[in-house]
Amino acid sequence: MSIEALREAAAPLIEIRGLTKRFGTNEVLRRVSLTVPKGQTVAVIGPSGSGKTTMLRCINLLEEFEDGEIIFDGQPIGYRLASDGRRRRLPERDIAASRSNIGIVFQSFNLFPHMTVLRNITAAPVRVKGIDRATAERTARDLLARIGLADKADEYPIRLSGGQQQRVAIARALAMQPKLMLFDEVTSALDPELVGEVLAVIKQLAEDGMTMVLVTHEMQFARDVADTIVFMAEGQIVEQGPPKTVFANPQSERLRLFLRRYHEAYLL
Amino acid sequence: MIPQALLRNFLYLLRGAEYTLLLSSGSIVLSTAIGAAVGLLHAFGPAPLRILVELYVFLVRGIPLLILLFAMYYMLPYVGIDLNPTAGGIVVIGLYYGAFMSQVFRAAILSLPKSQWDAARGLGMRLPLALQIVIFPQAFRVAAPPFVNTCMQLVKSTSLVSIVGLWELTMAGREAVERTLAPFQIFAGVALIYFCICFSLASYGRHLEKRMQYVH
Amino acid sequence: MPLDLNFILRNLPLFGKGLVVTVELSLLAILFAMVWGLVVAFGRMARARWLRTLAGAYIELVRDTPVLVQMYFIYFGFSMAGFGMSGFVSGLLALSLQNGGYIAEIYRAGIESISVKQVEGGKALGMSRWDVLSIVVLPQALVRVIPPLANQFIVIIKDTSLASAIAVADLTQIGKLLTERTAAAYEVFLTIAVLYLMMTGIVSGLSRLAERQFAIYH
Repeated sequence: MSIEALREAAAPLIEIRGLTKRFGTNEVLRRVSLTVPKGQTVAVIGPSGSGKTTMLRCINLLEEFEDGEIIFDGQPIGYRLASDGRRRRLPERDIAASRSNIGIVFQSFNLFPHMTVLRNITAAPVRVKGIDRATAERTARDLLARIGLADKADEYPIRLSGGQQQRVAIARALAMQPKLMLFDEVTSALDPELVGEVLAVIKQLAEDGMTMVLVTHEMQFARDVADTIVFMAEGQIVEQGPPKTVFANPQSERLRLFLRRYHEAYLL
Repeated sequence: MIPQALLRNFLYLLRGAEYTLLLSSGSIVLSTAIGAAVGLLHAFGPAPLRILVELYVFLVRGIPLLILLFAMYYMLPYVGIDLNPTAGGIVVIGLYYGAFMSQVFRAAILSLPKSQWDAARGLGMRLPLALQIVIFPQAFRVAAPPFVNTCMQLVKSTSLVSIVGLWELTMAGREAVERTLAPFQIFAGVALIYFCICFSLASYGRHLEKRMQYVH
Repeated sequence: MPLDLNFILRNLPLFGKGLVVTVELSLLAILFAMVWGLVVAFGRMARARWLRTLAGAYIELVRDTPVLVQMYFIYFGFSMAGFGMSGFVSGLLALSLQNGGYIAEIYRAGIESISVKQVEGGKALGMSRWDVLSIVVLPQALVRVIPPLANQFIVIIKDTSLASAIAVADLTQIGKLLTERTAAAYEVFLTIAVLYLMMTGIVSGLSRLAERQFAIYH
């Protein structure tokens, strides 16, 4: 492998430096720094209010942040640090372009109710990336087949179960051929028996080498799928490391407390 | 008791109704156009424009339509503008109801869950595209019932132009009463014709409201 | 544009007379419409099906016809039949009948919006139907009913201007006369517009105050 290729492969896909976000006087994120290498899966866990969802949403600027930098694939997102040290907001065009290379899946699926499943998946590739409709539809049907919903292409979202809608949401995000996938507690709103089918799709994505950041409550799944676990509390990253280490041998008291409560709740 | 006076003049009233429909259609088109533009401005425009819009709505909410019609017919000649009366009526009613329409459209757009915006932006859509393929189609369905109801109110309001001398259904009714001296019959007939138009609109509005409940 | 303030000041008493008539007509129409609306609402929510249909038909009738036509019907109709109702009374009657219908629907919406669970809760505690209504449902319905009622009051105030077409010397009529007599259309229009805005503004302000007061009790 050439030096350039090595460097390419080693460069992180996402670099978050000193991310700070405030809601009024309340600091929701405090100088958070995180690096996500290409092809890796990062699972972010923590109690509610820890800022994990906010951090995720800052990555594709669905939330604004007051300080810090986010570098995606070598390019800053949202704001850049000018030579005089001041923050300058990037033009909407650039922000939208970054977003089109990042896929995001939400807790409440957020499918477009007035479009068929097929159109939900093809709308953005056609209108945002300029892909021709025929190709987009082929890709869409491919994706649907891969997630086991090929026969639902012409249905409307309201006719699908939660698990099916969420899988379509994943396909919709994948259709944009993103370099990074973000998952915001995507199984929290699902009936327990539907969770498995969604996790299966995500696991397959991880095995196929997609770079992913997952905010999740599913500890078992996080342990199975993630390369790195990041534990957040009160707007800061308290601990991070490989699942084996973090779960078996938590270093911080806060994480120990969190895991103990989790075990209590699930081992009863 | 056969309402002879009404029967003899019914066709005359119907011709008046034609003018009512003409006035209404013109005003509906104008007020919808104004309402759409102003509604968008109110929802997404810069702060100073939004304040102007709120002033516009405040004025329309607080001033009777009749006063504005008088203003138009008595004041404009002094300023030198000589407007065709029918066009003038359409402009005043259109401007008046434009404010109400703007509120209907704005409310519809704002009623959509923020999560739809998140999904659209997350896919890299910019505001115009998101509005076009995600927001408007959904807002349209939400806006349809109150839109139809506002149209119905507009049709009823056209009766006011008879006071400033424009000829339509109500004016035709007054003329018929002068001729026949049978006010109960004639105005009952006038009311009946308005009722037919407005009841159809109101029923359609209710039908649209019911349909909405199935989609979401 | 130069504004002849003196003109306005000189004619203030005249404007005042018209304003008084408008206020009188508005307040009476509001009062009667609220009472009549209550009656109609009871009909609308009655157990007897024929009553509900009758009330429903009434509401539909007054809502789908212009109030001006209703005023003409009453004013010209009764004067030609020999009863000779004044413009004021005809206007008052028409406004009360029409807005009574709208207000009946406002009452109904307010009451029906109170969750059925609350009614069941009250009944489960052994309260009579009347008790449930007055202690559980009505106080809450009251809050929800204030904004649409205030809105309807504003509509009533604006609709009193139509009475000028049946010889009522209200604010609009005064304006029309003044404009015809003098050439100061601009000043007249401005004054009248401001006066109407004041009246409707007071209603809006009071409504917001009332809402806030009630919100405290929640």
